[in-house]
Amino acid sequence: MKATRIAGDALLAALALGPLFWFLGAGALQLESAASTLRSLGRLAGVAGLAWLLLAMLLSVRVPRWDSPFGGLIRLWHIHHMLGAASFLLLMMHPILLALAAAASSPAAALATLTPPLSFWPLWAGWGALLLRMVFLAPGFAFFGDADYQRWKAIHLLSAGAVVLGLAHAVPLSRALPADQAIWLWGSLGGLAMAAFSWRTLLSRIFSHRPYRITQVDALARGVVELSLAPEGRPMDYEPGQFAYLTPLDPALGAGRGEEHPYSISSAPTEPVLRMAIKDLGDASGALLNVSVGSRVLIEGPYGQFLPSSHERPALWIGGGIGLTPFMSVARALADQGGMADVQLLYCANDPSRAYFQDELKAIAARVPGLTLHMHYFAEAGPLSLPYLETRVPDYRERRVYICGPLPLIALARTLLREAGVPRTNITSEEFNLL
Amino acid sequence: MKRFMFGAFIAFWASVISIWSFATLASGTAGQADPASEAASERTISAAELAAHGSAADCWMAIDGVVYDFSAYIPEHPAPPVIMTQWCGREATEAYHTKGYGRPHSPAADALLPPYRVGVLLTPDDSTDAE
Repeated sequence: MKATRIAGDALLAALALGPLFWFLGAGALQLESAASTLRSLGRLAGVAGLAWLLLAMLLSVRVPRWDSPFGGLIRLWHIHHMLGAASFLLLMMHPILLALAAAASSPAAALATLTPPLSFWPLWAGWGALLLRMVFLAPGFAFFGDADYQRWKAIHLLSAGAVVLGLAHAVPLSRALPADQAIWLWGSLGGLAMAAFSWRTLLSRIFSHRPYRITQVDALARGVVELSLAPEGRPMDYEPGQFAYLTPLDPALGAGRGEEHPYSISSAPTEPVLRMAIKDLGDASGALLNVSVGSRVLIEGPYGQFLPSSHERPALWIGGGIGLTPFMSVARALADQGGMADVQLLYCANDPSRAYFQDELKAIAARVPGLTLHMHYFAEAGPLSLPYLETRVPDYRERRVYICGPLPLIALARTLLREAGVPRTNITSEEFNLL
Repeated sequence: MKRFMFGAFIAFWASVISIWSFATLASGTAGQADPASEAASERTISAAELAAHGSAADCWMAIDGVVYDFSAYIPEHPAPPVIMTQWCGREATEAYHTKGYGRPHSPAADALLPPYRVGVLLTPDDSTDAE
């Protein structure tokens, strides 16, 4: 696992930095004067900006199981987000640096750099790409208020237009490289990115959707259900604690029919049915609470690499609300396989009525040696605190910590643990946020 | 993060508008006097006269039928001086438009040319007529 992760990160680093080194090798960095320095930095900002845009698009490919060498889909999504932001900043600096470099020669040259004659189309393609990026990034960075998930996803498809225009700009204008090298570099990176885009928007629907039928809908608490799904074809293989995208097809559904959303798997892989716990967090998940038994869904996955495959190393799991689901999946798997564990599970709920899975977890903890359950009720004990942790799990500093739950719980638990001296590298948390 | 990106977004447009306004104003005032008067009293330069200015210190070139005196510009050119000086005293249209490897100069480079203009090149047709 470690070796594949290192290989995955090395591949990402090579893709992110390769184009820059290619240009540097071709002598793109000239620091003789202020103007040539600005011009070089402007060009390199453009090269890195486009390369990272293409890499961000490549990382959005989402092929089941391909995410594991990169630390799971959620980590990939964070990298996608950071690359996208960095690329956007660089691409905004690109024309400004080049215009300033030209201004050192003459104002007319600066003007021609920003607004050349219309016939100089590669430059206008660059402007088009940058403007499209501003449109498709506006919801993600909340330029004009918070975005609706489905609209954000739809607007994000404009990224394909930005990539095509960006390539139309860069291939003829990669001045430091001979034309054939520029075509080779941008063509291969652009081809990979567009292949990823086609897979995500079109091909994945054909090749990675698995049909399932809803056999049971159990109400766990108000606003929370667990769906049981029977495969109609070959079932999806998964590890406990992973998640998958679910697309409901129930015609009677009030909202979200045909829309995909990620949900955590709550069942053990050994079970004949796939179970997913769903909390009413929006229109689509809210409507799923009333989904018809017998209706069909499409499942795409598995994704994620939140929890390790072995649980014998001392661990502390902190789960809150629907965030308990991945831990539930592992607990059920341990119970099914008669596995060993050294796990302290801290279940944070508001009060006993919100502590779904509690009875089953107690029964599992009684059967699995080394799995201990602690219930923490906010209504009784107040927010999670270090004294509480100290009394319940005295050796928590020696344990690897996994946190899954609402953002405030993750933030609080992280702050407490960091205060207590638990190293950052010993804390892993997982959250879905606009995914 | 979101606030930072929004700040960058605003800063970008502020910079673009500032540079564009400044460049428009500055190039407007600088460019007004020359072209009309130049067109009337434009010198014609023969191939022989062009060839006489063939050194780095005294470097004329013909591009698209126009002759430029680049002597003062060579040190400012982004590429090493030899890239330009090899064309001193010569017809350099092809070199200007391909830079030797299929890449044209940018409109920004085109915008730099007018101040260096010294006249128009006498074409072979013109010279046979004259003879």
